[in-house]
Amino acid sequence: MLKEETLKQQSLLANYCRTGVEPVLLNAKQENLHHYRRLVFNIACDTLETAYPITYSFLSEKDWDELTYQFFSEHKCKTTQVWKMPLEFYEYCLEKNIASKLKMPFLNDLLYFEWLELEVHTMPDINYPQVKEIGSWLNDEIAINPEYKLVKFEYPVHTTAVTSDIESKKGNYFFLIYREKETGRVQFVDLSMLYVFVIENIVNGKLLINIINEANTLFNINDVEVLKKHILIFIEDLKQRQFIIGFKK
Amino acid sequence: MNHQIGIGFRKDFAEEFLNGNELNPAFIELAPENWIGMGGYWKKILNQAAEKYPITCHGLSLSIGSPDELDVDFVKQVKQFLNDYQIKIYSEHLSYSKCDNAHLYDLLPIPFREDAIKHIVKRIKQVQDILEMPLVIENVSYYTPLAAEMKEHEFISAIVKESGCKLLLDVNNVFVNAFNHNYNAKDFLKALPLSEVAYIHIAGHEQVSESLIIDTHGQAVIDPVFELFDFATSLIKPVPVLLERDFNIPELTELQDELNRLDKIVATKWQTKKNYA
Repeated sequence: MLKEETLKQQSLLANYCRTGVEPVLLNAKQENLHHYRRLVFNIACDTLETAYPITYSFLSEKDWDELTYQFFSEHKCKTTQVWKMPLEFYEYCLEKNIASKLKMPFLNDLLYFEWLELEVHTMPDINYPQVKEIGSWLNDEIAINPEYKLVKFEYPVHTTAVTSDIESKKGNYFFLIYREKETGRVQFVDLSMLYVFVIENIVNGKLLINIINEANTLFNINDVEVLKKHILIFIEDLKQRQFIIGFKK
Repeated sequence: MNHQIGIGFRKDFAEEFLNGNELNPAFIELAPENWIGMGGYWKKILNQAAEKYPITCHGLSLSIGSPDELDVDFVKQVKQFLNDYQIKIYSEHLSYSKCDNAHLYDLLPIPFREDAIKHIVKRIKQVQDILEMPLVIENVSYYTPLAAEMKEHEFISAIVKESGCKLLLDVNNVFVNAFNHNYNAKDFLKALPLSEVAYIHIAGHEQVSESLIIDTHGQAVIDPVFELFDFATSLIKPVPVLLERDFNIPELTELQDELNRLDKIVATKWQTKKNYA
């Protein structure tokens, strides 16, 4: 059992590294304490700057520094894996409504976009389904790359250079993010709501012919042949991009 | 390479290292925290490395000296990782990096005190029980003592003796601490439980003021550290030796030169060719 005083000394030093509140420590070289805060902060800041390069370059140096200092002071990092700490930063920004405080309504989307790229790149491998090469797009179950996410944003941070102009482009933006099996590279595909519907239903095991018929009604298209033609082009494109990987066995 | 001289495996040079032949260590060391649960490109790289080299693990987040409760789930994750890659050495730092339930991701000095010894010994035993293998504990660099009531070597020795753990002798850290805290590095070495040394680290550092060196792992190893390493090898049995280089990564041939120099030193002290890892 640690004595109260030992625990307190350790807590004071750790708290100083996080908050900058300089303690008076027993038998310590006070003049060297700042190195601990500097070293701790270097790791945290490097990790955040690497994870969020666009946000880092968009924010002023002052805003970025204040935000990272505030995060590290107020938030107790939970993960043992420092490369996952940026997710806690994103969640902290959501919880504290930093987007509103910085008058950057697109900040949440931007941070999530940058985090997603890292997350999809590093997420644990998922077993691929058994597939066959030959089949019918319309009448066989389509197999997809399981390492993906479908995402909705309010701001087009995934397609547009992030400038202050982006605020005027509020809307509904969908995209697919997935990891190529062979290279491990992360790819993005901009999607309409119709194509999100198609992918979601493929994932749920529906046949494309049925998905097209449902979409025809749901989206009030009323020309099933035209819709079929467009969706088949979309499917072929996803095959080329290695998101669709064949037909389920 | 006749002896067990390894290199810290870093993502910064992983691809160049695995696809080239400039750097030829006997084994590689990595931090499990940087690889656990990782898939995709980096998983492939890790598997490629594991096929080519034996691996040792040097952890970052165990925080054995933390006042907080031990993170048992984390230790179990490490155990799984060690099993998956058949890793026989798992070392950690005699420091703390988590306090008041907040991770700091760097190494803070533990108070050299009796109650801290009891606390840490209990935690090491807990870790060893889960891992079913001895933990290897590293003497760390520190830039200030914290509420110390005994000497550093007494603190380390008591922990090693009472916990049954092994010692990772970081020669650079001995050099850094001797400079920072005005003691004789060789005397300090001789006072450690050298029969329990299972592993050695060596690295570069940076002198930031007249009275302070920071253990950066960002420079080449300097001659006085090589000399201290030479001295240390005369006192201990053959064990694996690891060169750490985390920043300012030079040409891989320069790292190989450092490995060769280490190999040459141990060749004169540890005569036999032996697989220690």
